[in-house]
Order: sequence, then structure tokens, then C-alpha cells
Amino acid sequence: MSRAVTGRHSPDKPSHLRRAGEIWDGPTPWLILAVLWLAAFSIFPFLFAVYRSFFTFNIQSGKFVPAGLENWVMLFEDPRVWNALAVTLKYVSLGLGIELVLGFGIALLYNQDPIGVGFFRTAMVLPMVVPPAVVALMFQLMEHDSFGVISYYAYKLGLLTPQEPFLGGEGKHAMAAILLPDVWQWTPFMALIILAGLRSLPRHPFEAAMVDGANAWQRFRYLTLPMLMPVLVIAVLFRVIDLFNKSFDYVYILTAGGPGRRTEVLSYYDWLATFQYTNWGYGSVLGLFMLVIMVVFGNVLIRVFQLRW
Amino acid sequence: MVAIASAAYKNGVNAIRKRFRLGRVLMFLGSCIVTLFFLFPIYWWFLSSLKPFGEIFHSPPVYTGFEPTLSWYRTVLLGESYVTQEIQSTGAVTGEGGGSYYSVPFLMNSIIAALVSTLIVTVLAAMAGYGLSRFNIRGKVHIVFWILSTRMMPPVAVAIPLYLMYQSAGLLDTRLGLILIYVAMNLPLGVLLMKSFFDDVPRDFDDAALVDGATRFQAFRMVALRYVWAGLAATAILAFIFAWNEFLFALVLSGDHSRTMPVAASTFVTSYGTEWGYLAALGSTAMIPTLLFILFVQHHLVRGLTLGGLRE
Repeated sequence: MSRAVTGRHSPDKPSHLRRAGEIWDGPTPWLILAVLWLAAFSIFPFLFAVYRSFFTFNIQSGKFVPAGLENWVMLFEDPRVWNALAVTLKYVSLGLGIELVLGFGIALLYNQDPIGVGFFRTAMVLPMVVPPAVVALMFQLMEHDSFGVISYYAYKLGLLTPQEPFLGGEGKHAMAAILLPDVWQWTPFMALIILAGLRSLPRHPFEAAMVDGANAWQRFRYLTLPMLMPVLVIAVLFRVIDLFNKSFDYVYILTAGGPGRRTEVLSYYDWLATFQYTNWGYGSVLGLFMLVIMVVFGNVLIRVFQLRW
Repeated sequence: MVAIASAAYKNGVNAIRKRFRLGRVLMFLGSCIVTLFFLFPIYWWFLSSLKPFGEIFHSPPVYTGFEPTLSWYRTVLLGESYVTQEIQSTGAVTGEGGGSYYSVPFLMNSIIAALVSTLIVTVLAAMAGYGLSRFNIRGKVHIVFWILSTRMMPPVAVAIPLYLMYQSAGLLDTRLGLILIYVAMNLPLGVLLMKSFFDDVPRDFDDAALVDGATRFQAFRMVALRYVWAGLAATAILAFIFAWNEFLFALVLSGDHSRTMPVAASTFVTSYGTEWGYLAALGSTAMIPTLLFILFVQHHLVRGLTLGGLRE
């Protein structure tokens, strides 16, 4: 009888097998593993951070002491946080801007199918597969003030002076020193995503625009850009998350936040607070502060560009 | 009149042809410059790994004319210490022995953690992506944003709770521990990617299979999955890259038994100075496995990276 009701299963199938297949008719089995996995690794750390943010760690006794809102008040009174926030924003906006413009340019270029595009595109993947920690070390060698190859040519071209090198000195170029590896490594990511987007655009509107006599700039401005917007938004979202959270690798190895605090990004300051000063409570506050910034940013981006998933 | 017009037409055509050819040349040159920018650091790194000690620190930079040496590789890949090599070549010990720079175990840890986590991510993301794409779930938008927001958690903030979690579960300094967190780290991107790819596959395809008596799972495995190969490849590539590149979790959670390559590389920076030769050799070697992986699947990458965002 039930066969007739469910209808979609072949009637000659043994009933126990049929029931086994029915588990998959609802969304739960499809999602359960991924959701539980993510919950285990996000909800517990999140709750833990919230809980710990109301305690301070006493190094002498090795115990956590309830501290009320002390850590949260400190967040607003600590000038280092605002310095770190300013440095982070500068890093994220410069990095994103450069990578977006370069990535777009490269994608437009490769979309014209220059001779050897296959090779050029594959070569572009290479920087992405070198771990950022290793990339930071590579650039440390190349940006070294006395024997670095990039420094050598920068001195030659008059872009830098040995008194104010990439690393060291007063740190005038320290931001450039940590941005360079990021741009080198992640511009390809941007370029590949945009290239993929360009490749999947429909041809009709462009042919119609050509017939109507639209020039190259008009076609780009009124066709390519709007149609590409969803791809751009997703690319920007994922790049910003990584620029914000994972600049740590470059800073940790290249500058350690210095000289002074010129490159002390939020993720690095959080690391210092947690592991160097063993102030777990305050470290938790800083981490939550970063999470709030990202969630707000993500929400705004998705709302403004009406991204549908 | 006609002659003038046709001459003008010819001139026009020739001008367009010329511009077209010139454009091709310029585009090729532009691509070469772009590629030079991306390849130079890698080339320099590889060159440094072949240079004897003194040449690495030479300014102006040395491109040719040095005696290439494999001694950095022999230490990093074969575990021959600097002293052993010195004795073999000169019969005497002249310098201080380099510590332990044998790095094959670290490379293995990295490869295993990246490969296994990639496999799990791809399977889980395909299933979850299918679920989110095919079923009408209440509050789906919120679930999707929650999945995305787990990626927004700063790793620095997650590190301590994770450390304590792992301590009580006995997962500290194990490859399994790294695999578990790498899966969590890469699932959000994978699920979103796979969802958008399944959204592009018409539901009618599945429905036809269901009417023919297939179970939902069979419809997924034998019908829908066939249309999302590019998405699966992109998911796998990105998951592999991000796991392979990961530094902070490995720094906090791994130890002698599970240290990954990036963390091992960062320990080559000692208080006496940085061991550039060993680093360059390790870094150059470490590019090979990922490069092979990428070459294997890269033609899917460009299609897969649309992230399905163009769906209307």
C-alpha cells in the first residue's frame, strides 16, 4: 500500500532496501555531518572566548580571576587596539585595492587569449601554492637591506634608500614590505576568479552592443562590470576575510609588528596578548572584536549588493 | 569616386589588421611581464637553493657564474648533516655542524594533512551543498550565513580554545588533530561553492531519476554529481591549497610528531641567523607536490572558480 503512496520507488524493490533509500528524502542526512563538524569547531571556541573574556589570567597563581567587564572596558581604552585597527584597515584596503585592480587587468588581458595563455595561466597558480609563511621568508631574503635582490633594484631605481629599507630603519616602508608578498601571492587568486567570471558571461549582449556601436569602454562599463558584480563581491568577501585574519603569517615572520608598531595588525596584537602576555581574557576580547567587525562587514556587503546564495 | 572609396576601405582594413597584429604582440608582451612578476621570486628562491653559502649573501645579486651545489638538498631531503658532507668532500671538519634540518617527515605531515582533509571536505561539501540546493529548509539564508561566518572566526582567537579541546581529547601533536581543524576551516568555502554549482543543475534532472525509481542518494550520485565536476575540482584545489598553506593552527597544535612544513620552515630562523640555504631547498622541494596536484586538475580550476555567482 505504502508503495502506491510514495510512488517514486520501483515496486519490485525489497521493502527494507526501499526504506534505506528513504532516509535521503529529507535535508537532515545531507547536512548533518558538515553542520556538526562546523559547530564543534566554531560554537565551542566562540562560547569559550565569550566566557573567558570575563576573566583575567593571573600569572603568579596560574588561575583565572573573574574580572567582570574589565577586559571589555580595556578594549576601548587601549590605544594599541586603535593603532592596530588603523594598521589593519590600511593593510586590508591597500591590499584589496591593488589585488583587485591588478587581478582585473590580468583577467581582461588573459581573456583576450594571448598566445600561450595556457602557460601564463598555469604559471599564475604557482604563487598560491607556496605557504604564506614560506613566502614571508622568501621575501625576507629578497627584501634584506644589504643583500636582498628586490632591495638592490629598488636602491638602483631610487625607490628606496639604504637608510630607509623595507625592513628596519624607521619603518616608512614596512607596510610595503608586508603588502608585497600578499599582493604577489593573492593577485592570482583574484585574477583567476575574475577570469572564470569573464569566461562564463553570455555572448549575446556583447554582440548586440557591438552592432549598436558601443565602444570598448562602454561595453566594459555597462555590460561586463554589472554582469560580473556577483563574482566580484564573493571574491572581495573572501579576500577581505583573509587579509583581515591571515595577514598574521606575513607579519609574524617579516616584521613582528615593527618597527615600532607600524605593522602591528589586529591578528598579530591578538597573538601577542594571548601568547606573549598570556592575557587570555583580553586576547578573547580582541578575537571577538575582530569577529564582530568581519560579521558586520559581511552582512553589509551581502545586503548592499543583494547577494543571493 | 568608387576608386577612392575602395582605396579608403582598403586603407581602413589594413589599419585594422595592423592594429590587430600589434595588439596581439602587445598582449603577448604584457602577459610575459605579468608572468615574470609571478615567477621571479620562485626562480630566485630556486637559484638560491643551488648557491653555495657565500653567494646567497652577495650584493649585487648573482645570477650565474657560481658553482651550483646540492648540499642544501642533501641535508634537507637525505638528512646528511653539514659535517658529514664536509668530511666526505675534504676529509676534515672545518665548520660547525648544522643542527637537524632533515625535513622529509614534515613534508609528509603536510601532504597527509592536506590530502586527507581535502578528501573529507570534498565529500562533505558535495553532500551539504546538494542538501542546501535541493531542499526547502526554513531559515536557509541564516544557515548559509552561519556557515560563512565560521570562516570569519579569527584563527588566533580559535587557537586557545582548540588547544584546550585537543589537550583533553589527546589530539595535540597528532596529524588527526590537524586534519579535523583543516576540514572545519575549508568546509564553508566548499559548501557554498558546491551549493551554487548544484543550483545550476536543473532539479528536473533529479526528479526524472526519482520518478524512474532511484533513491535521492542515487539521484545525487548518478545524476547531479555528473554535472558538477568543475565545482568538485575547484573545491578540492582550494581546500588543498588552504590546508597546505596553513600556518597558525599548525604552529599552536602540532609538535615533533606532526609538525608541518611551513612551521618547520619558520624554525630555520634561529637566534644565530636564518638558514637561507636549507630554507630555499625546502621551499623549492615543497612546491613540487602542490604543483603536480594543480597540473592534474588545473583546467577545471578556471571554470570552477566562477563560484556559481553568475546564476540569475
